[in-house]
Order: sequence, then structure tokens, then C-alpha cells
Amino acid sequence: MHIPDNYLSPSTCAAMSAAMVPVWTKAIRKVKEEIPKVKIPLLGVGAAFSFLLMMFNVPLPGGTTGHAVGGTLLAILMGPYAACISVTVALFIQALLFGDGGILAFGANCFNMAFVLPFFGYYIYKLIKDHSRSEKGEYLGIIFGSYAGINVAALCAAIEFGIQPLLFQDGAGQALYCPYPLSVSIPAMLIPHLLVAGVVEAVFTAAIVVYIKKVSPGTFYKGAKEKTKAVYGLVAGLICFTPLGLLATGTAWGEWGADEIKEVVSGGNALGFVPHGMKEGFDFSAVMPDYAVNGLPEVAGYLLSAVAGVAVMIIFFKVLSNLKKDKAGNNVG
Amino acid sequence: MGNAENKFDDMPEWLSKSENYIPLSDKDTFVNKSILSVFKVLSRIKKQDSAGGARSQINVSLHVFCTFVLILLVSLTRSFIFVLIVNVWLLSVLSMTDTIRLVKILKMSMGVTLFTAVVMLPAFISGNTYSSITITTKVFATITAMGLLSHSTEWSTLTRALKRFYIPDIFIFILDITIKYIYMLGEFSLNMFYALKLRSVGKNRSKYSSMAGIAGTVFLQSKEMAEDMYHAMECRGFTGEYHINDKSKFKWRDYRSIGITAGFFILFIYFGRM
Repeated sequence: MHIPDNYLSPSTCAAMSAAMVPVWTKAIRKVKEEIPKVKIPLLGVGAAFSFLLMMFNVPLPGGTTGHAVGGTLLAILMGPYAACISVTVALFIQALLFGDGGILAFGANCFNMAFVLPFFGYYIYKLIKDHSRSEKGEYLGIIFGSYAGINVAALCAAIEFGIQPLLFQDGAGQALYCPYPLSVSIPAMLIPHLLVAGVVEAVFTAAIVVYIKKVSPGTFYKGAKEKTKAVYGLVAGLICFTPLGLLATGTAWGEWGADEIKEVVSGGNALGFVPHGMKEGFDFSAVMPDYAVNGLPEVAGYLLSAVAGVAVMIIFFKVLSNLKKDKAGNNVG
Repeated sequence: MGNAENKFDDMPEWLSKSENYIPLSDKDTFVNKSILSVFKVLSRIKKQDSAGGARSQINVSLHVFCTFVLILLVSLTRSFIFVLIVNVWLLSVLSMTDTIRLVKILKMSMGVTLFTAVVMLPAFISGNTYSSITITTKVFATITAMGLLSHSTEWSTLTRALKRFYIPDIFIFILDITIKYIYMLGEFSLNMFYALKLRSVGKNRSKYSSMAGIAGTVFLQSKEMAEDMYHAMECRGFTGEYHINDKSKFKWRDYRSIGITAGFFILFIYFGRM
């Protein structure tokens, strides 16, 4: 679910980051209020924990493995505000130091995984737990909460992808960023999460909570004020569902563009774009000269490709020598 | 000598019998994979910690700023040529770095680029050539730029650089702790993974629940560590505030990277015009 850069437009990224600022401010204030100073280091250690949790592979049917995100788990263990900060820091380290998720898309990734996921998951858990007040109900809450949390986060990511081709097109009607509309992005994101990732998340979260409950029952987060909590939950839930409004306008947009699709109905493409490339065939070289003539003087073009060629050759030989060194090392060892 | 013979006589009968136990084979790919991915992270952290010296020559705050500007320009531009020029520049910088780092950065950026290419394939086939090609090249440029940044600076100086961008102390503090504790907790969980692997001879049905046990124990351990850390901080008089006290002057390298970034900005405007 880590969105890399250039899938979303810079303006979307800016909007998502702006949306996160009040959440972060609130989370920091809340954490300072709620958590005694003794436990501030716990936020950092919690972030390290959530980072490592993604390294834990869980077996899946069919011989493959997957990993949990653990946003809801952190929210249950430390409270949603602390979880928000911890996941934010974990995402920041992934983006800055491990190249996992974009720098510009950091705000969007935080919105999905540090805000929507833990808050939604936590309040679903809280709702079910408060209504049943039995042990079984609590486990049910954990399972539903973590399952719903990760799927709603995936839905948000899908909507962010899906609105790109509607909002950002060039003169020829081609998408500038992610080219897939909502009708493609939502099933593509949601089906794997509903069937696989959500199940992994729910099972793993429940198993860890059961274990910690057994070993050290006193370590859970207790929401201080029940009544206000419920109100916050409602508000958080509503915020989470506001993108659904975009979903509705999205289909309207799609219908509105139907005349465009009519033109290419012989191509039968589901994307709703004028297949500009069809006239020239799917030939890469047909695209390239076009750019070369328009943009760059011939000399500069030669120069550019020469530099690229030299750099690629150096890299190639360095990689080659490295592979040889590895092999030699293996023989010795 | 006599003692040894005595011992041999004392040995119970079942010990001297030869046995023929063949453990049932069991699948433990997920344990192996977990070990591998934790190990990768640990070695990555260790690598950047041990290597110092020549790396921190360029002003880190400036490097972070230039990388950010470059990524922003790449993301904003609509000119394919601009993206190409940036890619060529990054490739040439990449070809100057030493081989081990080069392979690491290339592995990372090629992985993400290939993934993007696969994702963009349906769009390309259905005629949306512009975005599929441009996005793939843009992704390569962005990830390579990030890789060059994170592989050429020590992470402790990177967090110090954040202070210059007016990021709140609490955030830097948490970030610092996180990197340190990823390492400590990672080592801790690695030992438990090894233990699980060694102790499961033959078929072990409770392996899956052990997985949750490992994660749970890591959490409890992290809680204890956090409290210990707070006390240690208090004893040493650390209040969670950061001060920068290096007044490093700009060197010619820094002016060069400012110049390069400015050059890219001019190119960006030049190609944006067309």
C-alpha cells in the first residue's frame, strides 16, 4: 500500500499532506496530555516495533507469504493517537532511508496508513467491545476492527489513484499520473486486501493480542473518557468515509466522458482514453522521435545519449565485477 | 582411565543403541523469510553506521534540500526530455559511486521501476503511452535520487539535518530512538526466530502461534526498554531538546550542488515552456 512518487500528482500530495497537519498536531498534543513523560520513548520504540512487524512473514495458502501492517494492533496496544505518531515515523524511515514509498507521497501514505487505518480499526474495535462487554465480543472487535481498518485504508489509496486520470490530463486527454480510473483502481486494490491481506492482518492482530493478554494483561491502552471517545469515533468514521463522496462524483465523471469512449469502442478498452498511440501502433520508437524533434537540439541529444551510454557502461561493468567477486568469495568460503 | 570405562558402563542401554530417526519434513519458509528480511534491515543499519570518513563531506542539509527539489521538479514536469536529462545525470553520479553501494542503489530502483512498468503495461497497450513511459522513468529517477541520498549520508547526520528544517524536537527525538531500536529489537527477534527454527525438529504444529508469540514478546520487551531508556535519559540530564552546534561553512562541493540544482531548475522552466 506504499504509494511511490509520481503515481499521484504533486497537488494531490500537497492536499493530503495539508490534511495530515491537523491530525499530527492533534496527535502530538493528545499524546503529551495522555501519556506520562515516562512513556514518550515508547513512541519511538513503538515505531521500531511497527517497522519490524512488517518484516514478519506469515504463511498464506498456496505456499506464499505475506506480512501484516499492524496499525490496528498498535492502536489497541498504545491508543490511536500514539499509533498515529509511531506509524508516521515508521513510514518516514521507510521513505527516506529504504526507498519504500515516495517522499512527496508521504502525506498520502500517512493519511492512509497512519490516520485512517489505526483510527478506523480502533473505533470499530471499541464499538464492538463496548456493546458486548464479554471476552468473545472483544476478540470479535479485534478481528473486525483490524480487517476493516486495512481495507478502508486500501480503499482510500485506491480512490487517490482513481481520481488522478479524472483530474489531471494533458491536451490530448491522456492521464499525466496514475492512468487507471476508479473502476480499475478500486477492484485492483480491494480484491487482494479483502481476500488476503485483511485476513492476515486480522489473524495476526488477534493472535498477538491474545498472547500479550495471557502473558502480561496490564499493558493495554485504556481510553480515559468513554463518552467523548465515542464522539471522536463517529467523527473519525465520517472523515474516513468522505472520500466515498468522491466516488459518487467519480462515476458521474465517467458517464460524462462516455462520448470519448464511444470513439474508441472498436478498441474495446476499459480505460476510457482516446488511444492516441493506436494510430501509430504500439511502437516505442514511434513515440520517441516525436519528442526528439520537438524538444531537443540534435547536438544536445547526441551529447545526452553519449553521457548516458558511458554511465550505463560503467555501471554495467561495476555490477559485472561485483558478481564475479561474489562468486569468487563463494568458492573460497 | 578407569573412570572413563566406568562411565561407559553406567550409560543407559538406550544411549548405546543406534537410532534411525528421520525427522518429518516441515515447511518453514515463512520463518526463513522473516529471518532474511529482518537480517537485511539490520545489515543495512550496521553498514551505514560503520562507514564514515569520506561520506559526510557534503553539507547534509543542503543535500537533503537539493534531492527534495530534484524530486519535486521531476514530479511536476511534463517534459519527457527533462526527465531523461535528470536520469542521465543520476546515472553518471551513480557510475562514480563505489561498486557495492552502486549495486544496492540499483537493486532498489530497478525493483520499483520494474514493478511500475508491469503496473503500467495495460495502460501502455491500450494506448496511453505518455503516462506509462513517463511515469516509469520518473519513478526510476526518484528512487535513484533517494537511494543516492540515503546511501551517501550517515543517518545520524540526516536526523540532524531535519532540525534545520524546523521539524519539532519530539519528532526528531522519536526518529532517533526508532532507528536505534529497530536495530536492538531486530536483533532480539532474530534470536527468537533462530530459537524457533532450532527447536522445531520434524513437524511442529504450533509454529504459527509461536510467530505471534515472538511478535508479542518483542512488544513487551520494547515496553520495558522504553522505560529503562527514559530513566537513563533522566539520569544524564537529557530533556528531549536538540541543539545544533556545528557551524560548518560551505565548501566548493556545496556551491557545485547548488549550481547543479539551479541548472536543473532552469532546464525545468526551459522545457516546461514548450
